[in-house]
Amino acid sequence: MSMEDYDYLFKIVLIGNAGVGKTCLVRRFTQGLFPPGQGATIGVDFMIKTVEIKGEKVKLQIWDTAGQERFRSITQSYYRSANALILTYDITCEDSFRCLPEWLREIEQYANNQVVTILVGNKIDLAEKREVLRQRAEDFAEAQSMLYLETSAKESDNVEKLFLDLACELIREAKQNKLDNNDTAPMPGEGKTISYLSCCSLN
Amino acid sequence: MAAEDLPSEFDVVILGTGLAESVVAAAFSRVGQRVLHVDRRSYYAANWASFTFNGLLTWIQEHHEESQPEEAQDWSSLLEEGEELIYLSSDPASISNVQAFCFTSEEDEEEEASSPDPPNTTEEETGGANEDVVKETSETESADLKEEETKEKPEERADGAEKEQRFTALNDGKSTVQTDVFRPITQASKTDGKEPGADQPTASAAQSQSEPAKKKISYAQLVKEGRRFNIDLVSKLLYSRGSLVDLLIKSNVSRYAEFKNVTRILTYRHGKVEQVPCSRADVFASRQLSVVEKRKLMRFLTSCVEETEEQRAYNGRPYLEFLCDQQLGDNLQHFLLHSIAMVTEDTPTEEGLSSTRHFLRCLGRYGNTPFLFPVYGLGEIPQCFCRMCAVFGGIYCLRHSVSCLVVDKTTNRCKAVVDSQGQRISCSHFVVEEGSVGTDWKMVTSPPRFLSRAVLITDGSILPSDSDQQVSMVTVPPIAAGCPAVKMVELCSSTMTCMPGTYLVHLTCQSVGSAYEDLSPVVTKLFRTPESHDQENCPSVLWCLYFNMTDSSGLEVEGHHLPSNVFVCSGPDGSLGHEHAIKQAELIFQKILPEEDFCPPAPNPEDIIYDGDNNSSSMGGEENGGAGEEENDGAGEEEEEKKEVLEENDGEEEKKEVVEEEEQSLQTEGIRLQPLETGSGSVGGSDSCSPPAGSQISRRDAVQTPEQHTASTHNPQRESASCMMGN
Repeated sequence: MSMEDYDYLFKIVLIGNAGVGKTCLVRRFTQGLFPPGQGATIGVDFMIKTVEIKGEKVKLQIWDTAGQERFRSITQSYYRSANALILTYDITCEDSFRCLPEWLREIEQYANNQVVTILVGNKIDLAEKREVLRQRAEDFAEAQSMLYLETSAKESDNVEKLFLDLACELIREAKQNKLDNNDTAPMPGEGKTISYLSCCSLN
Repeated sequence: MAAEDLPSEFDVVILGTGLAESVVAAAFSRVGQRVLHVDRRSYYAANWASFTFNGLLTWIQEHHEESQPEEAQDWSSLLEEGEELIYLSSDPASISNVQAFCFTSEEDEEEEASSPDPPNTTEEETGGANEDVVKETSETESADLKEEETKEKPEERADGAEKEQRFTALNDGKSTVQTDVFRPITQASKTDGKEPGADQPTASAAQSQSEPAKKKISYAQLVKEGRRFNIDLVSKLLYSRGSLVDLLIKSNVSRYAEFKNVTRILTYRHGKVEQVPCSRADVFASRQLSVVEKRKLMRFLTSCVEETEEQRAYNGRPYLEFLCDQQLGDNLQHFLLHSIAMVTEDTPTEEGLSSTRHFLRCLGRYGNTPFLFPVYGLGEIPQCFCRMCAVFGGIYCLRHSVSCLVVDKTTNRCKAVVDSQGQRISCSHFVVEEGSVGTDWKMVTSPPRFLSRAVLITDGSILPSDSDQQVSMVTVPPIAAGCPAVKMVELCSSTMTCMPGTYLVHLTCQSVGSAYEDLSPVVTKLFRTPESHDQENCPSVLWCLYFNMTDSSGLEVEGHHLPSNVFVCSGPDGSLGHEHAIKQAELIFQKILPEEDFCPPAPNPEDIIYDGDNNSSSMGGEENGGAGEEENDGAGEEEEEKKEVLEENDGEEEKKEVVEEEEQSLQTEGIRLQPLETGSGSVGGSDSCSPPAGSQISRRDAVQTPEQHTASTHNPQRESASCMMGN
């Protein structure tokens, strides 16, 4: 690759209890798949998707926990150099919501100070089984100064929005850090996806 | 985070997450073995771990407490006909003589800092406090921290204030530190994301910051900025052509870590710290060496690359004698013996020469010295291998142990283990850290050996230079007869192991006495402490820790009376590199799976090609993404299950080219290891190949096959020769 095929590269890391749908969110976003009953993802460290935000190509490197969250044994090095964290819980599982403070402590301990954190309530397709009210989650997210979004990896609700908004936010932060003119920073909703293949065809 | 039950059947169960165990775990998982990896501790990497400052205080406290031997539960009810139990030890006493000292004031010193008097008095009086007092301080502190951890954020302000008062209480009667107990509470609250200087809200404090008189960092500040520290229990470096670097590259585990070059090699001589010239550029730039010495040194280094008749004549005789006969003079002799070969005066010539050659081979691969250090500390390395194991399906469980082995009486093989919850888990092989094996089971050949360790947090570099971001390896020859030679590593804040404005210094030697007895004389000579004299220009020690650790380099993987399918991994050894642990891991792997490849490259996720528009995913494991789809040999292997594709690719596509990638924006901190450094760029040993401090080194994975890789890394002599000699 003689030419860079992206303007930004961000490392996004997923955390949250086992079974809340972290891998499904990534696979839905990167591959458009919803694999029912799929087990642990073997041999895949992270997934890549390049999106376009206001004409700029943003490469997202999305890292999954590799199952280490099952017994609360995530390595510290997993959090290092992450630009954004997606903290996921399952709206149909009170317990996954109650564990959030524990996850926040890990973030505080090991993640970069500037990391952008977004709270995601997944499985809104199972609305009838909802255990965590939206308002409660919103309040919690606000108290911890996190963004909040509810998604369904199954129905593909808000999944694109989740990653695109995150990309927008990351670009805005990156530009702010460079003391660039903030006016050019994109707002959420301005992104669009481009396929991974098309960005590789340069080679 | 709900606790589930573990599966009950594995191929390999591994207890302990030290370096060797973690490499073994990654290696097995990578070739499709079902791995369970547990550690009784709440953190990864066992005695190889790194801690935040607060985490280290907790660790110290744990090692002060009388460890109560856990009551061995009787699991014999889990036995079947013809089986018996072997209980593992739950009390690995590998750490001893833990002593911590604080030489800085407990609290911030804004008042003092703004007054002209430097707060030296506090230093002496706090430092003069006896050991128990210091211990008490740190214990109380870590207890506070534990409390703090369980509290929610909003309460932290109050907690901070509370803590402050407790500190003051501790100070009472022990020192004359004047602390402002009633200063604004906000100061003690969390101010993450700010530089240490930025959290002083008062104008007077801000002024004093800008004054030339440096404000000494207080203990409270170390605690507050505690998460910026990553303090290693072991102190080692990576030889840039050592087996760990080769393994990291070969396995692609290197993608999880970043590295910094050790920027200079120093030595302590005639009461002074001097820089050791080691690359060609260094030699010519050196102001300590005369022209004649420069020429002699270059000639010597060139000549020792290849073995000569003359050298062979000295086999069995001390290297020092060989060096003397080369008429090199005192300066060069010192550098060559202590800093380049890093051996002692009575090391035999062949060994001295082989260390010298190893040093020279490693020069210039990534920079001006032969060494690399991982950003965030050495504790990252075992975790990186654990991540690799998990990515390939290994199951991880900290705070979980194995209490006993279930042994088949007739075959004398370990059939299963019983975990700390009383679950029987069957396995074909069991790998265990040395500390969990009772001494009765070990074949002891020599008396136990120990390492003496010291960790210092200082306020300045031992040899100030243009850049305050130097990573230095310092060799300290025995300061008196009978004293051990000490290896010292000084880390700057850009290694992400200490807070800005401080340096983290690790000292290591083979134990003669306790860590304090062995190392405090060196600390006193090189740094300013309450015991030191005339050390006005030396950096001050703010806080320090001494401890001894078992040196388990003597232990063999099968050096035990346990069943034959049980393998023991030793803990850290005293050498500078990681050769021992890597060799051990490879040996265990080969004994169990002699036919399999040890840590073959994991596919690069960048090369996995997803076809997002339809519902099937196709991926070519190690496909060269740059070559596009046409060359996708794996195209016929499209599978819905990624797993299968990957497994097939493992066998067939390893010779595939590795994608050339540049991931600049991820690499703000350090060096990514590259599978193959291109000859022109990195060989030469001149400044041109060393990265400018703080710059980004982009990953340039050269296109290559594993064969090429082997060839290139195993032809080191020519390169090192050109490295020293090339123009």
